[in-house]
Amino acid sequence: MTRYEYGGDEFIFVELSEEMTLQANFKAKAITEELRKRDLTGIVDICPGNASYMIRFMPEDIHPDELIELLKQLEEEVSWKEMTIQSRIVDVPIFFDDPWTHEVLMRFRDNHQDPESTDLDYAARINGYDSKEELIKAMTDAPYLVSMIGFVPGLPWCYQMVPQDRQIEVPKYVRPRTFTPERAFGFGGAFAVIYPVEGAGGYQLFGTAAAPIFENEQKNKDFKDEITFPRQGDIFRYRSITREEYDEIREKVEAGQFEYLIKDFSYKPQDVLEDPDAFSEDVIRRLYK
Amino acid sequence: MIKVIQPGLQTTVQDLGRIGHYEVGMPPSGAMDTYALKVSNLLVGNDEDAAGLEITYMGPKLKFEADTLIAITGGEIPPKINDEPAGMWETLSVKAGDVLSFDFVKSGARAYLAVQGGIDVPEIMGSRSTYTLIGIGGLEGRALKEDDELKIASDKNVNVKAGRKIDEDLIPKYSKEHDIRVVMGLCSYRLTEESKDEFLSTEWQVTPDANRVGYRFKGAKMDFVEREQPFGAGSDPSNVTDQGYPIGSIQIPGGIEPIALLNDAVTGGGYVTVATIISTDLDRMAQVKSGEKVKFVAVDIEESLKARKEMKDKLDEIRKQLA
Amino acid sequence: MMSNSIKVMAPIPGVFYRRPSPDEDVYVNEGDEVKEGDIIGLVEVMKSFHELKAEASGVIDAFKVEDEGMLEAGQEIAVINQK
Repeated sequence: MTRYEYGGDEFIFVELSEEMTLQANFKAKAITEELRKRDLTGIVDICPGNASYMIRFMPEDIHPDELIELLKQLEEEVSWKEMTIQSRIVDVPIFFDDPWTHEVLMRFRDNHQDPESTDLDYAARINGYDSKEELIKAMTDAPYLVSMIGFVPGLPWCYQMVPQDRQIEVPKYVRPRTFTPERAFGFGGAFAVIYPVEGAGGYQLFGTAAAPIFENEQKNKDFKDEITFPRQGDIFRYRSITREEYDEIREKVEAGQFEYLIKDFSYKPQDVLEDPDAFSEDVIRRLYK
Repeated sequence: MIKVIQPGLQTTVQDLGRIGHYEVGMPPSGAMDTYALKVSNLLVGNDEDAAGLEITYMGPKLKFEADTLIAITGGEIPPKINDEPAGMWETLSVKAGDVLSFDFVKSGARAYLAVQGGIDVPEIMGSRSTYTLIGIGGLEGRALKEDDELKIASDKNVNVKAGRKIDEDLIPKYSKEHDIRVVMGLCSYRLTEESKDEFLSTEWQVTPDANRVGYRFKGAKMDFVEREQPFGAGSDPSNVTDQGYPIGSIQIPGGIEPIALLNDAVTGGGYVTVATIISTDLDRMAQVKSGEKVKFVAVDIEESLKARKEMKDKLDEIRKQLA
Repeated sequence: MMSNSIKVMAPIPGVFYRRPSPDEDVYVNEGDEVKEGDIIGLVEVMKSFHELKAEASGVIDAFKVEDEGMLEAGQEIAVINQK
């Protein structure tokens, strides 16, 4: 049952599903895109979420109850399975088990559910993998849908495009850390994220992204138009890299010469839902062809 | 030009915020007490959304390098010009070389300083507001420091004279106990009925962990309706599948110490939200200090819209008085 | 000899600390001599620390707030007896 809720006098929050599903995510995308097309006066922000979405509006222009009626109508009408999603497939290099997140996760061991272990070893164990290497392989074999952006500017929530029984799921830290390094690759619930800037955080720490996803100075090509890189609906392939490749990428980034490997790609939700494995293979083939 | 002799505890350049970028995780920032910033701007003849200074708890010491008009509104942090007490909520004239300083805060938490023409810093994504977390807006994306120099803009401005005031009854009074109105909802279905009642009957104390990102409260432990946690949400009963957080929403990580998210809020995450502070009362939240008491009072959507209308009428009245 | 006492007031609300960090000694004890500008404690608010300085030289007569106690703005923290 969809819940339509007031968020004070300026927000409507719509929870399509309590659990994370690709269906709910695609539906939220379809409804919010349709609303965007209508270009109504008084709509300030349209924020598609993981299994929900949120609208900020000016009640002088549109009464919240009128907006809720419209959103209910859109939920009935949109044919989300057949919509075409204009997307980008992106190669996102990650240095797993790196020294920087390792130092931090050891420093905050008391905040963790398993102080004797490391985040990678713990996550491998509770997800039934024999080693952290196997976990890393599972995390990098199939691509992820960027299902929501937020927390801080540009942070992508990424949901792996595999059947639910193969989804990796981990708890958040028992008590959040007061520090997370910039570009840390984390995992919480069923979501992988990259922290754009350093700050507090509660996700398990597995590695560090070599390239930025937020760049205030806008010196690299992918940041010329916007200071944040990820877009909702993007498909990210996390690729495990060595220290050598990490250092090479860092040099390019510092020199303003880094550019993500990106392929434009359009697909329909039903392509993913019907055969996620075939979809993943297709995505990876297109990315590196 | 204004020279910063002492910066105060946290003094930032703010206008009415960076609106319309919530989707990429960009909070609005902007003045926490919008009423106070608007009135200070109107008093010096600025557009109400011009950039001014938000002063928190402890005022800065500023030296003006040119004659201008200023106005100070908001929380009572008594201003002094060349060590002589000066009025709040009125148009003041300052001369080149004058030094503005402040006494200890008497009531409220944040004062606003408007300068004729507005503070001149680059607009980032449509706003001059400071957002310190990622270092954008304002002066180099940070709070003021000793020896900073602030340029004065020549934004659209009508000519006004010093000595203008607004009626006493349009000046808010700030006490140490605050009734803050909320609309219950979002994921309040997660709370037990007892906890919903307790949420509204508890006198919450504001902890020292209270800033532009959010205010954390102490007072009671909240219980959640038992359920098998949905896939993707995380294992704690206070976890939900990560979702958007409205400005003013109140979340309760772990069922302890609720957090009200404010202007520099994180825009989303996986903690259960149970209510949202109505927009007019966000201005009042801005004037709540650490250690003070807050009670959340539930109102329905029509009451929140009525409060909003009253606030608009008040500002219209001020515009009329100052015209 | 006349002695003049100066009250040190909290300029901001927050948590009062008498030591720079939990495992270090207090800045000053009651009965200690301080010079104007010496740090006598910290107030923590909004995740930042504000140094409290002696406003006059003299001897710390008494602290009026417990270490790690909550402060209101304008609250009396300590008394310094000037010589």
